[in-house]
Amino acid sequence: MAERKIDQDVMALIADILEMEPGKIDPNAHLVEDLGMDSMMALEILAGIEKRFKIKVPEQDLPMITSVNRAIELTKKYVK
Amino acid sequence: MSSKSIATVLDFEQIKGIIPQRFPFLMIDRVIEAVAGERVVAIKNLTGNEWFYQGHFPKRAVTPGAMIGEAVAQTGIVFFSLTQPKLRDVTFLLGAIKMRFRRPAWPGDQLRIEVTPIRLTATAAMLNGVVSVGDQEIARGEFALAAKPNSEL
Repeated sequence: MAERKIDQDVMALIADILEMEPGKIDPNAHLVEDLGMDSMMALEILAGIEKRFKIKVPEQDLPMITSVNRAIELTKKYVK
Repeated sequence: MSSKSIATVLDFEQIKGIIPQRFPFLMIDRVIEAVAGERVVAIKNLTGNEWFYQGHFPKRAVTPGAMIGEAVAQTGIVFFSLTQPKLRDVTFLLGAIKMRFRRPAWPGDQLRIEVTPIRLTATAAMLNGVVSVGDQEIARGEFALAAKPNSEL
């Protein structure tokens, strides 16, 4: 899968869950401290990424989802 | 269908031992299938005496979608509790619910509520819920449930 497509899809997915415009999210902003993500939103993001990319991300990687860019990195780690 | 033809995995009293809701908010009557980590199926028999029909609506009893969502969430709590049986002293909170309703549920309907996992962690779950009456699916959706320690509330 094209890397840029992964970037866009992860951003869109996170923006949808956070109910924000994708263009208004700084990809390096901290999802909890800056954007108000809670633990259930993190799980929704994880489940959304797994469903969208048909991958399985181990639960211990959940704390890595601290920013859009970290979520993109994590996704790319598991997308073949 | 007589009630005796339906297998009972958890009866009403046993359900009360798992979920904290009570009248008038207990929205499942019986659990008929339960496989920890895989699936829970519950039923709710709607009668014309349900408290919410007084106001929803005075001239035509229609089951509120919110109460169908509550039945799904309560089935989700049963699922989560059976899957993570070591959890103690927690309150279950709904983080998100997205449901589509295909047709109303009326007094006399028996709701069959099936919950399966999308993603589980030790303290939270994303779940699928499908509600049917007879052979007809009347609602489906996804929801996120978290078990929060009471000390953190």
